[in-house]
Amino acid sequence: MTDKSFNTEALAAEYDQRSPQDILKLALESFDNIAISFSGAEDVVLIDMAVKIRPDVPVFSLDTGRLHAETYRFLEQVRQHYNINIEFMFPDTAQIEALVREKGLFSFYRDGHQECCGIRKVVPLKRKLASVDAWITGQRKDQSPGTRTAVPVVQDDKAFGSPDNPLVKFNPLSNWSSAEVWNYIRSNDVPFNELHNKGYISIGCEPCTRPVLPNQHEREGRWWWEEATMKECGLHSGNIKNKA
Amino acid sequence: MNAATRITMVKKILADGSPCKKCGEVEARLRDGNYLDSIDHIAVADERDPDSEGMKLANRYQIERAPFFIVEEPGREPRVYTVFMRFLKEVLRAEVDDKDEGTEMMRSSDMDYI
Repeated sequence: MTDKSFNTEALAAEYDQRSPQDILKLALESFDNIAISFSGAEDVVLIDMAVKIRPDVPVFSLDTGRLHAETYRFLEQVRQHYNINIEFMFPDTAQIEALVREKGLFSFYRDGHQECCGIRKVVPLKRKLASVDAWITGQRKDQSPGTRTAVPVVQDDKAFGSPDNPLVKFNPLSNWSSAEVWNYIRSNDVPFNELHNKGYISIGCEPCTRPVLPNQHEREGRWWWEEATMKECGLHSGNIKNKA
Repeated sequence: MNAATRITMVKKILADGSPCKKCGEVEARLRDGNYLDSIDHIAVADERDPDSEGMKLANRYQIERAPFFIVEEPGREPRVYTVFMRFLKEVLRAEVDDKDEGTEMMRSSDMDYI
């Protein structure tokens, strides 16, 4: 069943304090055409929870071509461990070839990561999301302390959806801390990416990810050569929320 | 887009009174592409004034980034676009490169979680 009249705002409020499992159950029972986005990091807990609700839950991953060897091994391990099919989305060959031809293999250190991520992640993700009614991410509030945008447990995805092609996004782990995620991983013998044993918290592409020191925030391990956040386009949320 | 379509662009003035750089770039691109005539109204979101028209619109549509576009058509809910390239493609029917749209989405949305 695909529920076209899904009231995200009301359900976001109703499920805000519910468990990730409850949120996943809501997602998987409300939408047939839904998929989990798996990054190859600790969002593996979503798969562990979801297969207990729907064993053949669709899962996809963005293979940017620049992931760590450890991540590729882990993706395969997860595929076998849960007996699931992971659909890998790849960048457009012509776009990558043009980028590398024009700017080399490490343009992101000079120009910022947005162009490379746009080609290697956003375009393939957009292609995948055009084929589903809803998706599930491992996004958590505690991952981006500088970001003002809230992470509701369920929301209308205005970035990838449109009024003509609405898309619902579930963030079941939104209210969990990193410690809660790891407690779940250990308590349930969930396999995890070996990079976590090497000091990595946030895991992305190999050139753009590094281990962090104790008490450093996980985002300090990503795009560390850039400004912490790009705030120029932000509208001060205090002003927005306080005034009608 | 039909004749009854009304498009509002919301651009920002920073707290120090200077114009938002991205808003300026977008406006220039609209001008260069001869699309500026398609914009019926430009509202300013002045960070120094929460009662400014643009800040009120941002609040109404729960938008946290500028610039953004509101597209109103009779008989339809207003559509809000925060990604300029997408607005260009879907509303103004301009040719937009997927790659450019992807890059802009990384720049203008909180997309670092992917």
